[in-house]
Amino acid sequence: MAFVLKGPARFGFYLCTVLLALFSLSAFGHTIEGSDASFVEAIDGPAIFPFMYLGAKHMVTGYDHLLFLVGVIFFLYRPKHVVQYVTLFAIGHSITLLFGVLADLQVNAYIIDAIIGFSIVYKAFENIDGFKRLLGIDPNTRIAVFVFGLFHGLGLATKLQEFDLSENGLVTNIISFNIGVEIGQILALSAVYIMLSIWRSNASFLRHAFITNTALMTGGFMLVGFQLSAFFLQSPY
Amino acid sequence: MAENVSSEPPSPKNIIIASGVALLVALVVLFVAILPAEFGTDPLGTGELLGLNALSRDQNPFEEQLEGHRTDYVEFVLEAFQSVEYKYLMDLDSSMVFSWVADDELYYDMHAEPAALGPEYAESFEQGTADRQMGSFHAPFAGIHGWFWENRSLNTITVRLHSSGFYQSSTVFRDGGTFDRVIDPLAE
Repeated sequence: MAFVLKGPARFGFYLCTVLLALFSLSAFGHTIEGSDASFVEAIDGPAIFPFMYLGAKHMVTGYDHLLFLVGVIFFLYRPKHVVQYVTLFAIGHSITLLFGVLADLQVNAYIIDAIIGFSIVYKAFENIDGFKRLLGIDPNTRIAVFVFGLFHGLGLATKLQEFDLSENGLVTNIISFNIGVEIGQILALSAVYIMLSIWRSNASFLRHAFITNTALMTGGFMLVGFQLSAFFLQSPY
Repeated sequence: MAENVSSEPPSPKNIIIASGVALLVALVVLFVAILPAEFGTDPLGTGELLGLNALSRDQNPFEEQLEGHRTDYVEFVLEAFQSVEYKYLMDLDSSMVFSWVADDELYYDMHAEPAALGPEYAESFEQGTADRQMGSFHAPFAGIHGWFWENRSLNTITVRLHSSGFYQSSTVFRDGGTFDRVIDPLAE
């Protein structure tokens, strides 16, 4: 790569990339909005494909989920491992998405989104060897990805529960939404994986890995800050 | 900052610096931009300085109108299978409140036609069968806005409409003809 940016300038560049990813999507809160929202409210009965579409859209446009996945597959070179980790993540979020909505689990969306932001910080910190070399511990990445998957699923569940979902066809619709989430994830991940693979074939990858993950961590901190601010400052209605 | 050499794992010092910088940058962006722009909180005064406060200002619930509102009452007697259309001429973003009550169930269709574009651009908002409906209406475009009522029974049904709003006049479409009604504003 032709970048010759040094030090802070280079960090700035990576940060800008992450920020651009964060802000290019109009809303920070990442909810289901506009005509999609009124559709979800109006639906009565099974609507497999619309919910699949909404699930996929939520994932593809969900920078919080995507940044975490970028962190997860950043150092996964073999497709087999990517599949393993992503499956763990998918199982995790499917469990809480399904049970969260069906059991009518009421969790504060801001807190969950703050934890999702924290999951990005956690993974980025792990990627810069923070746990191993700074804290001298080696937490199991698979378990972490699974547990954060549970939280991401709870986040999806709270987004769906903000709506007055009809009981009629509820299970079908949640499962459709979930399948859509997986499809969206595969689509988004393929793109990320291809880009990472191209980048990895270049020597610049390892040189810039540290700073990229630092920028990723910054994005994670920002999401945490944003969500906690919303939790403490925003009026409850 | 030294160039990070590929094969060497990062030193604890670099990890601390990186994490600190990440946290610091996030906090700076949070306090400088996100809090004023998203939450209307401006702890450092940067929201005022950069004009970000405007982004979090709520939409003003007050909406000014240039003319006084009008109030209207009409009733239509619909014989078996007769229908009538009654529409108000309204500007973009003007509003009205209404209640209509009929003796028995009627088919209704609340819809609007944009000014100068004609019936082929009509947009329908609510249809159904009921003996009453109350509500408010905010004109999404300038044009004529109102109801189509149809008596689909064999009985004679009377429908009575009360409304108040920022419309200028109304038109009755009935039996193939149109009749304009002048409605005077409450205040000039």
